[in-house]
Amino acid sequence: MANEEFFPQVREAVAEALGLDEDEVTAGATLLDELGAESIDLLDMLFRLERTTGVKIQAADLADYVQGGIPDEEFGDEELDVIKPAGMSQLKTVMPQLADMDLDGKLQPEKVMSYFTVQNLVDLVASRAATVSS
Amino acid sequence: MNLDDRVVLVTGGAKGIGRAICLALAGSGASVAGTYRSSRAEAEDLVRQIEAAGGKAVALAGDVSDAGDAASVVARTIAALGGLHVLVNNAGIVKDVLIFNMEPADWQSVMNVNFGGVFNGTKAVLDHFMAQREGAIINISSVMGERGWIGQANYSASKGAINAFTRSAAVELARFGIRVNAVLPGFAPTEMVSGLIDKGGKGIKRQLPLRRFASVEDVAALTTFLASPDSAYITGACLPVDGGGSAQLGLGRPE
Repeated sequence: MANEEFFPQVREAVAEALGLDEDEVTAGATLLDELGAESIDLLDMLFRLERTTGVKIQAADLADYVQGGIPDEEFGDEELDVIKPAGMSQLKTVMPQLADMDLDGKLQPEKVMSYFTVQNLVDLVASRAATVSS
Repeated sequence: MNLDDRVVLVTGGAKGIGRAICLALAGSGASVAGTYRSSRAEAEDLVRQIEAAGGKAVALAGDVSDAGDAASVVARTIAALGGLHVLVNNAGIVKDVLIFNMEPADWQSVMNVNFGGVFNGTKAVLDHFMAQREGAIINISSVMGERGWIGQANYSASKGAINAFTRSAAVELARFGIRVNAVLPGFAPTEMVSGLIDKGGKGIKRQLPLRRFASVEDVAALTTFLASPDSAYITGACLPVDGGGSAQLGLGRPE
């Protein structure tokens, strides 16, 4: 598993924020859809992670991280309500599991975060930790 | 009640109830930051008084109806006193006028200071409180937020907003280790309500079950309790300190 040194802290934060047993929080579970996280739960996780890892992530950073600095008009097609190819290739770098899901030309922007997994959060924490220490 | 090593921020801390709260919290061991808008001399005098008694205090200029000022006094408190654990949103004004004669500015200014101050102060401490997973917020409201009074529709509405906000904030922030409660004083003779007390003091007092006005120390004592770990299981409560005034129906007797 990538960045596995951060997995225990993320699993603990997710489990405590959602009131789940830690073994229910698997790397592949999606935070919103499968684990049922709402916005206040995400906020809770991020503050818990700040305490245990020292990495500060704002809730607003989450969307920015996923979009990777690609301008809105290149990321998604507003009219067709779908993520554009440039957006898809960015998404596959931060959410690699999307590559195997046959979503090209079909993924609606509002559905993107529903695919965000525990592992994706682990990778986010790791990337921020690397930024902080470098 | 022991508040040693705790840092508290009291908005509107120079005069009246806010001053009594600063003194009581300092007396329980807390380091105290008190904000003032125009009463600099009183605020600095209060700091000297607390320091003379062996405590630690700072006076900070700031208008909490302004979100930027609220954020600034929070940052300055943390810088000056090394942390922050308790916020007392106390700053408030009155502008009594009959609704018939009330201009939009008359309720907007009262709302901006009274409710706006509570909102801005609360928002300003959240990042710090949530990161440390600890904090107590005490909103100094009024029984007027639950009952009515001729000429105080604007003040009453602002305090009602504070009470509703207190409950919602308590529910939302509980999981982050933050407690939010409100103190609802009845009639406490301070400069702010001196007109009312001077004019109708005797008649009002006769109607209160405990037959006296609240002292500012009565209000400060409840605030200190809500700031301390002794109230660890209390959140979302709007607690009157009103001598029983709001408990009774009419005068509680035929005449």
